[in-house]
Amino acid sequence: MQIEQKLLNEINARLERQDANGGNGWASTRRLAAGAFKDMGLPTRRSEAYKYTPVAKRFTDNLTLENEAGTVQATRALEQLDGIHLSTTNGLLDSVPAHLPSGLTISSLVDAYQGNRVFVNDHLSRAFVAERDAFSSLAAAAAEDGILIHVAANTAVDQTIVIHHDNVSSSGLVQPRLLVVADKGASVQIIEHFGHAGASSAFENRIAEMMVADGGSIDHVLIFERSEEATFVNGLHVYQEGSSHYATNTITLGGGMVRNNLHFLPDGEECETHLNGLYIARGSQHIDNHTFVDHAKPNCESNELFKGIVADTATGVFNGKILVRQDSQKINAYQSSKSILLDRSASIYAKPELEIYADDVRCSHGATTGELDEDALFYLRARGIPAEKARLLLLEAFARDVVDLIKEGSVRDYLYARLHAILEAHAS
Amino acid sequence: MIRPNNPATPIPLKNITMLTIKNLHASIEEDGTEILKGLDLTVNAGEVHAIMGPNGSGKSTLASVLAGREDYEVTEGSIDFDGEDLLEMETDERAREGLFLAFQYPVELPGVSMSNFLKQAVNSVREHRGEEPLSAGDFLKLMKEKAALVHLDPSLKTRSVNEGFSGGEKKRNEIFQLAMLDPKLAILDETDSGLDIDALRIVADGVNDLRGEDRAFVVITHYQRLLDYIVPDFVHVLVDGKIVMSGGKELALELEEKGYDWIKADTGQAV
Repeated sequence: MQIEQKLLNEINARLERQDANGGNGWASTRRLAAGAFKDMGLPTRRSEAYKYTPVAKRFTDNLTLENEAGTVQATRALEQLDGIHLSTTNGLLDSVPAHLPSGLTISSLVDAYQGNRVFVNDHLSRAFVAERDAFSSLAAAAAEDGILIHVAANTAVDQTIVIHHDNVSSSGLVQPRLLVVADKGASVQIIEHFGHAGASSAFENRIAEMMVADGGSIDHVLIFERSEEATFVNGLHVYQEGSSHYATNTITLGGGMVRNNLHFLPDGEECETHLNGLYIARGSQHIDNHTFVDHAKPNCESNELFKGIVADTATGVFNGKILVRQDSQKINAYQSSKSILLDRSASIYAKPELEIYADDVRCSHGATTGELDEDALFYLRARGIPAEKARLLLLEAFARDVVDLIKEGSVRDYLYARLHAILEAHAS
Repeated sequence: MIRPNNPATPIPLKNITMLTIKNLHASIEEDGTEILKGLDLTVNAGEVHAIMGPNGSGKSTLASVLAGREDYEVTEGSIDFDGEDLLEMETDERAREGLFLAFQYPVELPGVSMSNFLKQAVNSVREHRGEEPLSAGDFLKLMKEKAALVHLDPSLKTRSVNEGFSGGEKKRNEIFQLAMLDPKLAILDETDSGLDIDALRIVADGVNDLRGEDRAFVVITHYQRLLDYIVPDFVHVLVDGKIVMSGGKELALELEEKGYDWIKADTGQAV
């Protein structure tokens, strides 16, 4: 494909320009990622993992790494939240917030590298496996900067960190990079919001790496609400050391085509991993959640709940893989995916994949796809509740089940209101 | 007027006809099997009618058809409900008009809290009657008062509807909802099934409390036992989709003693 070579040329030009300026940073890992991308190429529909999701088709030949500054002014829906607020333009940090609590560092990756290159080299590109993910490799190769959130050992950050990804280039390829590191015993809660960005037709291909050291904890929520023209590939790569806690909730309400690639590697014993998600696809939206939990060490637990509501001519895809390696005994891994189809023209492809090589484990999965429960509807209507309200009540209950797992109350309230507004239009 | 908790006390009847079923024929939508084959029944305000019959006679089908379940198709006959054509109304309209079905198998609604569910139900009915929605305070007061009627713990308001409820709690919850919605006609579909004697008594006491001159009950049951506690004014025997015999409360005792076979023989009905 022509576009792949064009992007690689642009990446090489960037790297050479930096070399000529004395180089800055992690060029070697970027070159490795570029090589991996070159080998893999963009996944076509012939690739099993992208059979239902033709993201590569959205890589039109005019895509370029050179983005003009974001011009779309978005409203910040989560501005009122208590917490530490950050904003980004084309994925880059606008400014470092003042008065950060001690033990918390927030900076651009370039600044972090200049301050402590050993730290950045030790953590960047450690949580993701380049050969596994062409999109994240491309983003890792292209991104010249990014955001670092670092919580020092035994620091509990009480305030929620809220990242407003609110400005993107109206066309072009935006590849934001985020690195979150919670050191030993540290804990932090992060909310990322990709808000309504008007009629932006940007292609966002982001790579986020999150690392939790021994006994650490990260709670993460991502809410994606871009317009129907937007394309989003979300590469999340989580690495956990022993006795750590990681929870993520991926809420996809917007975007024309969205692919969430969520990878988890609990690489120590006694890890707890929670991966939950909700999507509502309507109009001609296409929303795909691919998750992969690699249980590499024994005595760990993972809980996974993904729910989707698909209306109109929209498409939902879920693929959840759990791998339990041979020596990973005493693993409890639970996966559940449930989806509701609201229209005959809507489609859902759901596939759980359990690959278990250890013999003393508890793993379960369940996948259901169907229409709203007729008996439940009848029961509500038999109590005088009009059909549309009854449907809305059931749809909201279905979706809220996932939102209820979010720790932050004000985020839950925001999402309850959004769900109500969105689902109201689809309950009649 | 609320009838005192003593079923033996006579109540003045206004003789307002609440429900008139004429020559009702109904089939299973899916395969066309006819279940109700010409059923007639008239129920006046203030009356309690018991409908008894062997398994498969069409008792629950009657309840479903009255409530408007779409699995059944009415092929012939008419149902007049307080002056209106019931068959022209959707399920939720029927409920707002004052028809209540206590389900044999109450449905679990995960994620739908009792208080949200009841608020929407009560306010839908009130809106239909031209009344203002209840304030949060009045609603809570009403819930507390009516929950006490069937000994339900007020903490149930935060629970999901019927989810994790015991069999007895589910049935009490049906009577609780009946009390909240204050219907003109209540149909109890095998409300006694799966209840032990204590739960049965609580449910029956709740129903007796709700008897009144403006309200009618149709009590569908397989066993006479429930009718010891909810004493009916009339007992009808349903066999093969038709009411084949009607009488006073003593008919129930006779059925208990002799079973249903003698009726089938007497009336020439096939099983």
